[in-house]
Amino acid sequence: MDSNDDIEDVSLFDADDDVSRRSKKSKIRHPVASFFHLFFRVSAIVVYLLCELLTSSFIACMVTIILLLSCDFWAVKNVTGRLMVGLRWWNQVDDDGRSHWVFEARKVSAQGGKTSSEAESRIFWLGLITCPMIWVIFAFSALFSFKVKWLAVVVMGVVLQGANLYGYIRCKVGSRKNLTSMATSYLGKQFLRQTMATEDQAAS
Amino acid sequence: MRDLKAVGKKFVHVMYPKKSSALLRDWDLWGPLVLCVSLALMLQGGSADSKDDGGPQFAEVFVIIWFGAVVITLNSKLLGGTISFFQSLCVLGYCVMPLTVAMLVCRLVLLAGAGTVSFIIRLIVVGAMFGWSTLASTAFLADSQPPNRKALVVYPIFLFYFVISWMILTFTPQ
Repeated sequence: MDSNDDIEDVSLFDADDDVSRRSKKSKIRHPVASFFHLFFRVSAIVVYLLCELLTSSFIACMVTIILLLSCDFWAVKNVTGRLMVGLRWWNQVDDDGRSHWVFEARKVSAQGGKTSSEAESRIFWLGLITCPMIWVIFAFSALFSFKVKWLAVVVMGVVLQGANLYGYIRCKVGSRKNLTSMATSYLGKQFLRQTMATEDQAAS
Repeated sequence: MRDLKAVGKKFVHVMYPKKSSALLRDWDLWGPLVLCVSLALMLQGGSADSKDDGGPQFAEVFVIIWFGAVVITLNSKLLGGTISFFQSLCVLGYCVMPLTVAMLVCRLVLLAGAGTVSFIIRLIVVGAMFGWSTLASTAFLADSQPPNRKALVVYPIFLFYFVISWMILTFTPQ
């Protein structure tokens, strides 16, 4: 009897501790996503800087950088943006052959459980903004030192990362702008539902 | 995984060119990227070990394929095509695939030995694949153009694939 009480007490204490620990840890809720978010872009830049020291083969370097850049593009567009800040963007083609760019932000949920944490969004935007800027600097340095063969890689880096940056900025701006319209439509729906309910009551 | 499946499906579509809007509906550039990298690698081939010789050529293939595709797309947009920019880029990129296959065959033939016979075989293979690429891409793209301007759109596509197949045909490893 006594021992049973003890055990319960211990387990309760443990659970409490666990909760507190989790809340401390929840600053970075998706460590894998944030790791890969930074890993691909940083390693692409590092490879670009170091490849002339490490290997003499231009092709191996170029292929590595291209693979890293495209992995980064895919990961940031499809995974980390959605997980870390709740934004996403994609392209849609309708039947007329016209293409639409859709920029979407996750609605802020009422519970507050699903919203992205502050630290994560800071990591996300920091990585998203600095890397294209570094690539732009590389582009100018390659242009002025007439390294034409590197210019292709650098332009690719600028285009891929700039596209992601542009997409997410559009998401962010769009979400801010849409907030008021969403609120009004939500209020309108609520109003409609209430009137419907009262009408039902009146009918019955 | 879903993206990989979509890329695989598009490869199959290019091998059996038939008019379908499913390929055009959801575009992506992964397949073209893979094809472009593999084509450039194979064109590089023998001289990959030498230091300065191989470099510019590899980037050259890249620039020719992407820049050429962009120019063709701009041309068809300016002529009043009803296809979106990236869709056209996607189709043009995927239709490089027969030429990549031709490159593979050429390398195998060149392994066997270089001579008049192997040159004739390569000429036939590259010619056939060149025709295939052009037919497939025009099958996808021609619908979006007004009928009296079709030739104006098809001609640059013809030139684009002709340049790539010329590079493949004249390629000989040192």
